[in-house]
Amino acid sequence: MNYAEKFKEMNDKGFTWGQASAEANRCLLCYDPPCSKGCPAQTDPGTFIRKLRLQNVTGAVRTIKENNILGGSCGILCPTPLLCELECSATEIDRPIQIGKIQRFLVQHSWETGFKVFEKPKADKGRVAVVGSGPAGLSCAAELAKDGYSVTIFEARPKPGGVLAYGVPAYRLPEDFFAIDLKDITDLGVEIKCNAPVDKKGGAEDLLKEGYGAVFLAPGLWEPIRLRENSENIEGVFTATEFLAAMREGKYEEFGAGIAGGNIAVIGGGSVAIDSAETAKRLGAKDVYLVYRRSFKQMPSEEGERVEALKEGIHFLLLNQPVDFVAENGKLKGLKVVRTKLGEKDYSGRRRPVEIPGSEWVIDADVVIEAIGSKAVENSTDWYPSVKTNAKKYIEIDKETGATSVNLLMVFLRAAILYEDRLWLWKPCRMVKSLRVP
Amino acid sequence: MGRSGIQNSCNGDRLPIIHPSPRMHGYHYGNKRLVGLQNVEQTSDRGFKANLLDIMYLKKHYPDHIVMASIMGFSNREWYDLAKAVTGAGADMIELNFSCPHMTVEGSGAKVGQVQELVQKFTETVRKASDLPLVAKMTPNITDINEPALYAKMGGANGISAINTVRGISEIGLDDFVPKPNVFGKGAISGYSGPAVKPIGLRFIAEMALNKELGLPLSGIGGIETWIDALEYLLAGATTIQVTTGIIHYGYRIVEDMIEGLSDFMMSKGIEKVADLVGRALPHLVETDEFDLKRQGITNYDLDRCVGCGQCYIVCNDSAGQALEWDSEKRRPKLIEDKCLSCMVCSFVCPVDGLITYREMPSTWKRRETETLGRELQSRLKL
Repeated sequence: MNYAEKFKEMNDKGFTWGQASAEANRCLLCYDPPCSKGCPAQTDPGTFIRKLRLQNVTGAVRTIKENNILGGSCGILCPTPLLCELECSATEIDRPIQIGKIQRFLVQHSWETGFKVFEKPKADKGRVAVVGSGPAGLSCAAELAKDGYSVTIFEARPKPGGVLAYGVPAYRLPEDFFAIDLKDITDLGVEIKCNAPVDKKGGAEDLLKEGYGAVFLAPGLWEPIRLRENSENIEGVFTATEFLAAMREGKYEEFGAGIAGGNIAVIGGGSVAIDSAETAKRLGAKDVYLVYRRSFKQMPSEEGERVEALKEGIHFLLLNQPVDFVAENGKLKGLKVVRTKLGEKDYSGRRRPVEIPGSEWVIDADVVIEAIGSKAVENSTDWYPSVKTNAKKYIEIDKETGATSVNLLMVFLRAAILYEDRLWLWKPCRMVKSLRVP
Repeated sequence: MGRSGIQNSCNGDRLPIIHPSPRMHGYHYGNKRLVGLQNVEQTSDRGFKANLLDIMYLKKHYPDHIVMASIMGFSNREWYDLAKAVTGAGADMIELNFSCPHMTVEGSGAKVGQVQELVQKFTETVRKASDLPLVAKMTPNITDINEPALYAKMGGANGISAINTVRGISEIGLDDFVPKPNVFGKGAISGYSGPAVKPIGLRFIAEMALNKELGLPLSGIGGIETWIDALEYLLAGATTIQVTTGIIHYGYRIVEDMIEGLSDFMMSKGIEKVADLVGRALPHLVETDEFDLKRQGITNYDLDRCVGCGQCYIVCNDSAGQALEWDSEKRRPKLIEDKCLSCMVCSFVCPVDGLITYREMPSTWKRRETETLGRELQSRLKL
């Protein structure tokens, strides 16, 4: 089986001009648009859709790109049904405007027509280092470059993009699509050093001594949360983080052999769990079970992608709490779960899953993929030992400026809020205008 | 009621007709296709003999249906010959095309329709050649349509059809600056039709229907697609209607919907025959100085159905009486009643049908005077 082929083709082809235009014509062109207020990244769909409607297509692209240089990838990956589209006034007429798809169309259209929003700025303000080339690091670098700084990004992995390159399947965001978004950033003069981890003790702080006037920290949250300790020793248990990254590295055969024809259980109810389940299906799994402790409605993934997963034949095992792995001689045999029922509401406002005593059972599984979240890398505080962090190892910052406890060691505000919300999103991108690099 | 006429455009073989290519351009509004259609066609490019054979074929196979032959001559003699020939071929009626808006030959198409004496002369000529009912087709590219219509009547016309297409430029190419349709680098002011011209057609029909001196049956043309369009032409005074652009857009299937829709409407209103609808709007059509200005009203908002888009607020603020306040928490407009101008613009942009309606106010109600910006500059005003 040629696995690579199965990942090449994009799931969603995106809008044509006619579709985007028809969708823009459905827009109610609201006063004080609620969609724009609903975007945590300060994207302004109210304005860019109005511009498209009034045939000001280049202006629409400018509105998107000036706020978010990764507008194309964002249009594909942002969970818009939970944000701008949730606020859309047209919902009460019939259904929300498909804002993410319009955004993606406009950016792709600008690629096709060769319209560029930015010219290469003059870099005359000094050098800045950015640690990490995920969405936060890239956005930060772009803002700094537009502001006149010479920016160098230090990326630990072989390819830039962080979660964009290693965290989502290629059929959702192909490498060549992201590469065009990325080119807009490098065209601003941003230098990206790959295979360049800043993981020595005090490595991030040392950059300040190496000629960089300021350092921005955007290392991401790459440590997977596990169901229980020591599960990495069981053959057949993976984290979604390593599983999805391996796919992006083309290790299809390696994983495909274990998954093709087998029973696969994916733990979790978020978008990453859905991606993992669908990826397993593409690798030829016989049955893929998505095991989630709450109900369908409570799943944090978008409803649309859940329905797609159901249509692809993924079995949703709801109201089942995974509790342990069942292994023999270090090889996985199954996933032990206990049935739950919904109790009182918890802090999130959702009804809490309550285990039903004595209802344990075992799902036969050849492979289990854990997709239950991620956290700060265990030793990440060693990279910036002088910086104050909290119990979760998140960097403590001034919420106005993004400054850490160490002068000129900063966090891009977007990244900071990312960490707090645990919601993977593009966040406020207003540059730290007070930055003065010596 | 029903589809009873088929029309053929005929002209003599004296001048060979070759159509420009491309010969039409569609005008779209947003994602609505073809609100207007522009054509640069030059009547019929088919041989006259072929047209005559068509008429004979139609009368042979559909003897119960009316075939109207539309003719356009380029000389007095040609008008005569054409009329004679189509009468001989079995046509039931003749339409005299005095109105094709993009003919360049003096004394043809709309050039005729704009010169009253020619309208009369050519109608007289055709009258001499044929005993058939004659329908003169009028151009809207004129100030007063009653003038040529009356000349046509004097020449012997038995009816008037209107309107032919409106002279226009539907679009201009952005890369080459060539008006469309782009005929190899050139465009022309030419005939524009479709839904966008309906208000103009209704106006001309009503003006002729109100003219007591004219007193001829009218055939309404211009932007008709639905039974409602057709009905409006009847109410404005037309006794028959004609459709071309609507057929070009949707095909003949729209006739079924016109018949069914109008029939059901008549049933629901207890109206027995189409003739009872003709001209029913005319008693209500006046000059604007006849309006009762003592009666005033305002908009009425049914906010239970409001979706909170706020377009009403934008238009009222930017183009009307600034009579709305905006509650940004609830996302709802609030009407300041005595500032409402009753322009109704808010109701035109509101996406919820019938949410904003008109409400008459008691005679004691007064509208607030509109605000003046430069009151403090009054002393410097020179009158």
